[in-house]
Amino acid sequence: MKLSYIIREGIIGIKRSRMPFMNSVFSVTIALLVVGLGVLAVDNSLQFIGEFQADYDLEIFLENEATSFEKHELAAIIKDYPGIIRMDYLSKEDAAALYNAEFGEDVLSLLDDNPLPSSFRVTFEEDHRTAEYILAFIQNMNELDGVDEVIFKKDLFNRMQGIMQLVYTIATITLFLIILATVFLTANNLRLMILARYEFIETVRLLGASDFMVKAPFFLEGGILGFFGASLSVLLIVAAEYAIKYYVHIDLPVKILDHPEVILGLILFGVSLSSLGVLKAVRKMLRFVT
Amino acid sequence: MIRFEKVFLRFDTGISLRELNFTIDQGEFLYLYGDSGSGKSSILKMIYMDLFPNSGTVSVLDFDSSQIKRRDIAIVRQKIGMVFQDFYLLSDRDIYSNIALPLEIQGLKADVVRRTVSLKADELGIRSRLSHYPHELSTGEQQRVALARAIVNSPDVLLVDEPLAHLDSTAAKEVVKHLWKINESGTSVIFATHNEKLLREDPARTMTLVSGEIVKDREA
Repeated sequence: MKLSYIIREGIIGIKRSRMPFMNSVFSVTIALLVVGLGVLAVDNSLQFIGEFQADYDLEIFLENEATSFEKHELAAIIKDYPGIIRMDYLSKEDAAALYNAEFGEDVLSLLDDNPLPSSFRVTFEEDHRTAEYILAFIQNMNELDGVDEVIFKKDLFNRMQGIMQLVYTIATITLFLIILATVFLTANNLRLMILARYEFIETVRLLGASDFMVKAPFFLEGGILGFFGASLSVLLIVAAEYAIKYYVHIDLPVKILDHPEVILGLILFGVSLSSLGVLKAVRKMLRFVT
Repeated sequence: MIRFEKVFLRFDTGISLRELNFTIDQGEFLYLYGDSGSGKSSILKMIYMDLFPNSGTVSVLDFDSSQIKRRDIAIVRQKIGMVFQDFYLLSDRDIYSNIALPLEIQGLKADVVRRTVSLKADELGIRSRLSHYPHELSTGEQQRVALARAIVNSPDVLLVDEPLAHLDSTAAKEVVKHLWKINESGTSVIFATHNEKLLREDPARTMTLVSGEIVKDREA
């Protein structure tokens, strides 16, 4: 029955203080909107940089004398190598076509024979895309029969990795500061909401309510508030993504709906931020009430 | 049931109570008489553990002020009914919800709460006002609501702080009559007042306070 009191008081509390409640919901919404947009902006930036970096990480050129068997063997080895997400084979003819497309000249008309070698283009998974791992892979490849040369654009790769690292670090620090400001602003807003309920807290305490019975309905109210605030922020983020797609004509590679873990994270963050913020405010007030 | 032993209470502005020693038994009716600032409200606050003595001890229903834990204060208060000078009615709740609050805090079932609230509202003649809000009631009616809330959970002790301050003599007599009726059911009543006329008419035990000291303790 005490549970029914807690639930009823939590809901009554919302009904009786609609305006402060709505203010707090909007404060949580705005706070989480900033956090959510920040996370998505960082993810999309990293994705864009990653795409700009290269279609592939390195190219393995094969000897002209490499047999079909050796090529198949190599393809199998590369495919099974841990951390490789993609492998494309380019025959001598494909290489000639690419040369033609890039320089506008037919290599076969310049030379009698096609001098361009066949190759494998290899792309690594995000987790394995480090210079150390790739250099170890190159060393292994160079020892295999049929491999002539492995070209890895190390300088460009390192520079892009550096930029990504910088973006990531700045974004992490910025997000941390935003979250800190969010927590502070929301907590302050919740404190004001609770301050308006001083009369109720003092009265029920005098009528024999334990600290738990005073705090529990507010904790529930905070949770509901956080849930609404966070859900609203998710809806606004989705709307922003659609607006970017239809009005700015940019289809973002990372969208919130493709990442339920981000949605869940925002909602959990909203619920815990609000319920704990409310709890802290009530606890602080109870210090002044015997 | 209630015992004050060598109780001193000092405020920053000066001493409020000096060396109080007295006991109040179960079922007793006691008037605390004195002018404003004589210490009546401080004694009531110490009984419901809203104030604690600087020295000495206040024992209430087997709980000792020097050792009581915060969670036990709630238990003591569930056994004490209080009618405050300014009523402490929640302005955003109707009369029914105000009276029901002590029962709901204790987790009683909804039908028990409904039945008990109706009964007490009947006893105090405020049944027709249950759906109203405090600001819609006269001061006398608000007082009866505060009294109904104080007795709704059949407390062991009832504390009443200056309940007649805003009432005419007829309404005041009605309140006193109600308090005696409550006392007859075994509840101890401690009634703080500065109404000398009332004491002349009523033979109950009276403790007279002057500047925080008991100067007279007239037995019933």
